[in-house]
This record gives sequence, C-alpha cells and structure tokens, in this order.
Amino acid sequence: MSRHERWAVAAVALMLVAGAAIFLYAPTDYLQGSVQRIFYLHVSSAIAAYGCFAVVLVGGIIYLRNESLVADRFARGGALVGLVFTTVTLVMGMMWAKPIWGSYWTWDPRLTSTLVLWIIYAGYLLVRRLADPGRQAARIAAVVGILGFIDVPVVHFSVTWWRSQHPGSIVENDALPPEMLATFLFTLACTLVLAAVMIAIRYRIETLTDERMHVAEPVKMIATREPEPVP
Amino acid sequence: MNPLRVALAVARKDLRSEWRTREMVPALAQFIILALLIGNFGFQIDARNAPSIAPGILWLALVFAGLVAFGRTFAAEREQASLEAMLMTPASPVAIFAGKALAATLLLVVCEVVLLPALTLFFGTPLSVEVVAAVLLATVGMAALGVLFAAIVARVRARELLLPLLTLPLWIPFIIAGGQAVQSAMGLPGNYQEAIGLLLDFDILFLVLTSLAARFVLDE
Repeated sequence: MSRHERWAVAAVALMLVAGAAIFLYAPTDYLQGSVQRIFYLHVSSAIAAYGCFAVVLVGGIIYLRNESLVADRFARGGALVGLVFTTVTLVMGMMWAKPIWGSYWTWDPRLTSTLVLWIIYAGYLLVRRLADPGRQAARIAAVVGILGFIDVPVVHFSVTWWRSQHPGSIVENDALPPEMLATFLFTLACTLVLAAVMIAIRYRIETLTDERMHVAEPVKMIATREPEPVP
Repeated sequence: MNPLRVALAVARKDLRSEWRTREMVPALAQFIILALLIGNFGFQIDARNAPSIAPGILWLALVFAGLVAFGRTFAAEREQASLEAMLMTPASPVAIFAGKALAATLLLVVCEVVLLPALTLFFGTPLSVEVVAAVLLATVGMAALGVLFAAIVARVRARELLLPLLTLPLWIPFIIAGGQAVQSAMGLPGNYQEAIGLLLDFDILFLVLTSLAARFVLDE
C-alpha cells in the first residue's frame, strides 16, 4: 500500500467513526427529529469547503508572487476538493430544508452565496481545463480564485442586507447540548482530515500530470544542485 | 508616461474604431430591443404589473448586452495581434486596462441610452433620475469586472463559453443592489438610499480589485 492509499484508508475510517457518532452517540433533536443529524456533516463540509478555497486563495497569491508550481498545484487540488464539499453542503442542506422549511430552496443569503461559491469554483476548474496548461492557465486561475474568494462574502453581505431566514450560528451561541457539540466537533475534525488527505492525493495527481505535460518548475536547475565538496 | 493620458488615448482609440466601423452599437441596440420583445411575450404585462416585471427585464437585457459587448472588447486586438504591441510600449498595463474599461463603459452607457427609453416606451415605467443613477452606478463596476474577465479569456479557447461563467457570479452583488434600487425607484417597496450607497461601495471595492488584478492579467 502506498503512502497516499494508507492516508485514504485512515480518512475513510475516521469518517465511518464520525458516522457512528452521528447516528449512535448524538441525541435525537426534540423539535426536528432525526433530520437534525444532517447538521453535523452539513456544517462540517461547509467549513471544509471554505478551508479548501482558502488554500486556492493562498496558492493563487503565492503563485502570482513567485510562480511557485507547488502553490499552483495546491490551488488546483483545493478548488476541486472544495467543489466536492460545497456540493455535499448544498445537497445535504436541501435534504434538510425540504422537511423543515417545506421547500428545497429559498433565496436566503447563505444558500445564495453558497450557490455562487459553487458556480465560481466550477468556473475556476473550467478555466483550468480550457486555458493552455502551464503559465497562462495558472495566472488566469489565480486571479479567478482570488476574486472569487472575495466575491462570496460580498454576495453574502448583499443578500443579508436584502433578506434572511437561514438559522444563525448555533455553535457560537452555545445553544448545542454537550453531546451534540462533541459529535459536531469530532465530525468537523474528521471532515477536515478527509479534505486534507483529498488535497494531498490531488496534489500528487497534479504533480504527475505536470510531469507528463512537461510543465517545468521555472527555477534555475543549477541552483538546486548541491555544491560539490572540496577535498 | 502619464497613465491618465495613456488610458484616455486607449479609450479614444477604441471609441474612434467603433465610430468608424459602427459595428457594436447598432448590434447591441437591436439585441436590447429584441430582449424587450421577448420580455413582452414571455410575461403578461399590463399597467398594474409592469413596475414589478420591468426591473427584471431591464437587468436581464443589460447583463446579456454587457456580456456581448465585453466579449468583443478584445476582439479587434486579438485579430490584429495589437494587444502585444500595446503592451510592448512603456505604457503601464493598468493604464491600458483602464482605457479599455473606459471605452467599454461608454459603449454600455450608449446601450442604456437605448434601453431605458425603450423600457419606458414599451412598459410604461417611469424614466426618472433615480433609475438612471442606479443603472449608471452599476455599469461602472460591472464594466471593470467585465473587461478584466474579457482580458482573461481573450487568449483562451472557448472564450465565448467562459466569459459569462466567470463574469456573471461576480456581477451578482451589482444586480442585487441595482435591482433593489431600480425596483424602489419604480415604486416597489425598498430603500433607495441604502441600495445606492451599496452600489457605490461595490464600485469602489471592485475598481480597486480589478486594477490590482489587471497587472497580472495583461502582463504576459
């Protein structure tokens, strides 16, 4: 088993433990019933998605500063993994909203800005696919990743100013019973580990792809060689 | 080189080329009239519901006309390969970008000169200073973002596909605030002052961001 496969197995095992905690340890919500169990993975994957997009942002900034291919590969991996977690967040949110709000979708700030987030990073991945691989794609994508990250709070703010009905931050308000909080924090930690492992695997894939496409690191080859010892 | 003079020279060049060919403005005007025609057949519009439908048609027509206009901003440069020549001059890329954005904004304003009276004519909504101010304020920021992404996709395959995908999500804040401003100016509930203030904030924010990003987009 390779290093990446071992990480993947560990992350999946952690997620299974988190699933057991969600269904067996956490108490059933008095008002919402079992539907409330969606909350643990829904919020965790939203936070993981923001973390992934922060990787895209930082990777983009570093790439624009010194054209580091490492930063760009992390950005590529972050965008794809973040998009997966945003999809999970949106789908689970809709599954929760149908029984609780009575409809799959409302134009609430969080829903709207999450949808915009999804569209922006789907566009980011499309840019990467359509632009010529290498310097051009990386620069363009870095700009899209940075502007996209800034756009999301702006959209969120403008819709909040407009109207809101999404439940507020119950974690910060200390409204969760301790068992629920423990389950949530554990699920969050497991989800973040999963996201990190997924990005690491994507990073490896992007490195191999770059090697196949002969995208070379733009640093001088001589500088990386160790100076020969003088006898 | 004085960046302001560079920007004005680039804008003047674009506008003169448009004045001589007269390609974009008639095409965009026709596009806008067609959008209003489709709006008319898509909705059952009468004197009562016109104020609640017309703002939506206004923004739809403006957004898609804008996408068509910005998709063309770098077309001439690409066909003649003149962008590289412009970037080889000592003029700063940000000034060149500002000039292109200025010309594109003016082009979009010309479209609005067609759109707003036509909206009043066809749907009977008021053509007030408030409506014009909201639309113009939204145009500034939308043009800055639109030209930035037009520059980004200019050298990419399938640019027609990519431009709307990248631009529309970033235009959403302008459409939220601008939509609210136009709605309240046309007599629907809403706070006009706040919406205009928000539009101004977004204009400043995105003008700064796009001029920071322009260097990396054009500087190749």
